Amino acid sequence: MSGVVLTTRDPAGPPIDMTGVLPERLAEGGREALAGLMLVRGRGRHRLDALFAMEDGGPFGALILRPGGAVLDGVGTGMTAGDIRVEGDCGAYLGSAMRGGTLTVEGNCGAFAAAGMAGGSLRVLGDAGDFLGAPLAGGTRGMSGGSVLVMGNAGDRVGERMRRGLIAVHGRVGRLCGARMIAGTVVVGAGCGPDAGQAMRRGSILLPQAPDAVPSGFVDGGMNDWLFLDLMRKELIDGGAWPSGFSTAGTRARRLIGDRSAGGIGEVLILGEA
Amino acid sequence: MRLNGVLIDDTFAEAFPMLGTRLVITADTPAWVQAAVVSMTGFATSVIACGCEAAMERVLPFDETPDSRPGAAVLLFAMSKAELAKQVARRVGQCVMTCPGTACYAGLREGSVIPLGNALRYFGDGWQIAKRIGGRRYWRIPVMDGEFLCEAATAAVEGVGGGNFIILAADRCSGLAAAQAAVLAIRNVPGAILPFPGGVVRSGSKIGGKYKGLIASTNTAFCPTLRAAAPASLVPEGVESILELVIDGVSEAAVAAAMRAGIAAVAELGAAGGVVSVTAGNYGGKLGRYQFRLHEVMA
Repeated sequence: MSGVVLTTRDPAGPPIDMTGVLPERLAEGGREALAGLMLVRGRGRHRLDALFAMEDGGPFGALILRPGGAVLDGVGTGMTAGDIRVEGDCGAYLGSAMRGGTLTVEGNCGAFAAAGMAGGSLRVLGDAGDFLGAPLAGGTRGMSGGSVLVMGNAGDRVGERMRRGLIAVHGRVGRLCGARMIAGTVVVGAGCGPDAGQAMRRGSILLPQAPDAVPSGFVDGGMNDWLFLDLMRKELIDGGAWPSGFSTAGTRARRLIGDRSAGGIGEVLILGEA
Repeated sequence: MRLNGVLIDDTFAEAFPMLGTRLVITADTPAWVQAAVVSMTGFATSVIACGCEAAMERVLPFDETPDSRPGAAVLLFAMSKAELAKQVARRVGQCVMTCPGTACYAGLREGSVIPLGNALRYFGDGWQIAKRIGGRRYWRIPVMDGEFLCEAATAAVEGVGGGNFIILAADRCSGLAAAQAAVLAIRNVPGAILPFPGGVVRSGSKIGGKYKGLIASTNTAFCPTLRAAAPASLVPEGVESILELVIDGVSEAAVAAAMRAGIAAVAELGAAGGVVSVTAGNYGGKLGRYQFRLHEVMA
């Protein structure tokens, strides 16, 4: 048995909330259970098979989404296992509260991707919006596990209040990257906007060069060798997530420690000055 | 059984379960790896008085270590999980973390968890940083030459301690040559270590002694100088020197393989090399769960 391909019947309509459309539902209840799911679109609720044409395709147990221009919000929300592949762009809340499985978007995604994510692997081949890996609404902690790879750019506040896990962005990110970060790792391949690490307590932000503006609470810890970078580099290279702008050898980097104004001992590691 | 003129006694080595773990230690150069390993495995010959038994298992080339630097695998064994955890924390904390440029990683993944960096992180006085990479957790502890990178935990598995064989030789020189040949052979066997100095024990022991409170005393049955006087001496005529090799391993198979390799190396020297016979230490089957029959091991 193959997976299921969902193709949007009316791409021009309002956004579709994809909450609940998960591979595990397909595994548990089969295609019928998936077809009968009630989804919110605009002001109405509709059966999934009224909004999407369903056909067999893809690997066993996987979901393949073809938005065709429609805005699909909440793809992979709460996902715990399996495989979702989006052949196009996604809306907001991609992989939010995700706990396992793999989620791949071939295009771009909106804000709050990986918000509250706790596990699994999220890969965006295009750009991501603001609040990547940030807390869910009302939450106090952002991403707490798993890994996120963005091949393009990402918006503001990437990794805000992030607790654990890894975010790797090959391109550039906006301002306030890693703001109020609690722990975890953010790797940015092409630099970031101002105020990276604002009020961060712990955690690591890896950059190719110093950010446009460093919050005043950071102090320059100088150059040194950081052995863990070697382990991290190998891990990210194996996963295709090591930004191409970074060196593939050496463990030397400049370390900015902060944000001391918030009592933090996080770090912004600048690899490009080595 | 005779191999190359060497009598292989029809007896067994008696061994017992121990908890063991493997650690991988790396540094900037092989010399600093050696410094850390020698320090860490020092005074770790016998659980009778040392708390653990430990030795280097093998040198690791740079392409086999997690951080692509020179390294070595070390095995440590103790009688309980709590004691093993205590010894790991003490020895890594005092001998590896203190050694310039080193890092320490878990060498076993499966088994019950014992703290490694988790037991040492507080040395960072609040400046330590945890980092999860590739599903494994590490501690980065600031030290005076940079950072001590240490995996958070390692795994303990049930291993085998006290595997042994005893070389009976015509004289001290030939006994030592035979023992050294066995040591070299055993060091090529993965999963096994020889915790005693240079891999060899000259003061083999028996349980208890005439003095109250003594856990062990010299193995009078194998003391050549007492042959004429000691009761139940096992030293035949023509034997002046006896040496023992004690083997700990991560499995029964590893200990058996080490014994086979060692005895074969001894036998290769043969009677012409001054080796009279090979036997093994046992306590009538009362000490340990494992019995390694020499004839079966060499079959």
